[in-house]
Amino acid sequence: MTLSARSVLFPVVVVVLVVAGVWFVRGPGPMAFSGGPKVALADYKSNDPTGVPASLAKADLIARGEYLARAADCVVCHTSQGGKAYAGGLAFNLPFGTLYSTNITPDKETGIGNYTDQQFLNALHRGIRRDGARLYPAMPYTSYTYMSDADALAIKAFLLSLAPVQATPPANTLTFPFNQRWAMGFWSALFNPDTRFEPDSSKTAEWNRGAYLAEALAHCGECHTPRNLAFALNNRNKFAGALTAGWHAFNISSDKNTGLGAWRDQDVASYLASGHADGHGTASGPMGEAVDESFSQLDPADVRAIVAYLRSVPAVASTSLPAAVAPPAPASPREGAMADAHGKMVFEGACVSCHGWTGESSISPFATLTGAWAVNDPDATNVAQIVIAGTKRHAPDGAISMPAFGNAYSDGEIAAVANYVTARFGSKGSRLTARDVADLRKQTAR
Amino acid sequence: MTTLTINGQQKSFDAPADMPLLWVLRDVLGMTGTKFGCGIAQCGACTVHIDGKPVRSCMLPVGAVRDRAITTIEGVGATPIGARVQKAWLDLEVVQCGYCQSGQIMSATALLATTPNPDDSDIDAAMAGNICRCGTYVRIRAAIKRAASERQS
Repeated sequence: MTLSARSVLFPVVVVVLVVAGVWFVRGPGPMAFSGGPKVALADYKSNDPTGVPASLAKADLIARGEYLARAADCVVCHTSQGGKAYAGGLAFNLPFGTLYSTNITPDKETGIGNYTDQQFLNALHRGIRRDGARLYPAMPYTSYTYMSDADALAIKAFLLSLAPVQATPPANTLTFPFNQRWAMGFWSALFNPDTRFEPDSSKTAEWNRGAYLAEALAHCGECHTPRNLAFALNNRNKFAGALTAGWHAFNISSDKNTGLGAWRDQDVASYLASGHADGHGTASGPMGEAVDESFSQLDPADVRAIVAYLRSVPAVASTSLPAAVAPPAPASPREGAMADAHGKMVFEGACVSCHGWTGESSISPFATLTGAWAVNDPDATNVAQIVIAGTKRHAPDGAISMPAFGNAYSDGEIAAVANYVTARFGSKGSRLTARDVADLRKQTAR
Repeated sequence: MTTLTINGQQKSFDAPADMPLLWVLRDVLGMTGTKFGCGIAQCGACTVHIDGKPVRSCMLPVGAVRDRAITTIEGVGATPIGARVQKAWLDLEVVQCGYCQSGQIMSATALLATTPNPDDSDIDAAMAGNICRCGTYVRIRAAIKRAASERQS
């Protein structure tokens, strides 16, 4: 090979390698799995998958924006514990420091009162603030980027109709190099498709509505899809479950054993709308908040559309979970798992009066442990978190709640009871230590 | 109008479905033998039986009872086991201040119904959720064993 041939070939190889590398790292988009032809929204012949349900079609812009803001669940992240709604300040504890959510009330100094429409779209679609600085992807703009301009601006109209709250969130405490916002420009160039939702013309109108709701608004993947080394969603394992903010967001792909494949449609719909499905447990933590603030307030047809969409997501098995959930435990405390005597002592004092020795609650089906992924997860992440933080849902018979035991029990006691609960009511007991529990507390500290 | 079967009698009243059964018993029906302790199912003072099983009535929405039979401290003496437990409680003078004792007796009666001869670990498992500020635990344990032994005698 001559020198000149080599000097031509070398840059070509480098370019090919870089392109292949970028292609590999980016992976497929969130809706690439559907495989059908995508059409621009304007060219889609069937019902418009964007916007609000028919019942709100004639409502004013602010009412439509309120529905869409619910569907996008803005309030959960943009409200601190005990703080005013949408005024920001909620802490995100990351391995490299703490981020705080921003004030999105219309206050002109500390909120978004001065945002123009274009600036709001830049924030939602591109992760760029009014002052041009980059947002961190804790703000799920790589999901919201699929939102139509009209829907994003309806949300803006709703937010600007709220009472302004003057509130500045605490300063972020990210360490170098993560405190360099400009660097997020590279991340964004790689991982933000900056493209609006395009219906798949081979799918039903219901599927497309569900896809729009799940991807552009509800941003399910932000918790339920594992992330790659660059903290971007790895859609090769779409919806296969991930640890997010100290909780296990379980597999919601169509896998029969470890995902939603064996759930009936009405089970998934009930779980979204009420936070509970008989035989599958009850939502707590971040999913409980998503139910309270978002899914429970959606039109039933929209919930059904999300279910239809979830059904189509390819099965990916979770290797960290057993292939089947455990049946009810024996009625007698003498039978069943004896794993942890310390844990049993905590359980019989604080837990059994509601959850029972079988795991099937005599208080409410919402308190039944049998069948829930949380107690069948050998990492016991969510069991420990629920014991620490408690939980509250709105059952048909009225609110049902579990107190927070985080201040009443030590890390060692919480680890012991979590190990006992997963051994007795799950397929494989956990082996949490006091140190694990201390670490879980840190991840959810607010 | 809601109708419940309490101690074998039908009781009808008006109450929202999300009202805890304990409130219905005490405030609506005036059955104050069942006590309010903590309100979060952590002390056992409010224990009643639903279809014979011990349940913390402070956490149970009345709408969730449906057609299941309720037994309270006012009615538990009408059952053979309940009568034996109450007699053992009197014989051994278990009670000190008494506030937790309705719940203790309800839990002990439910235990003996499923486990006629409980050993210490059975008693621990069934009674650990019933707290006594006066510390009558030693006499509670002895009274449960006496009630169990009187069945044989």
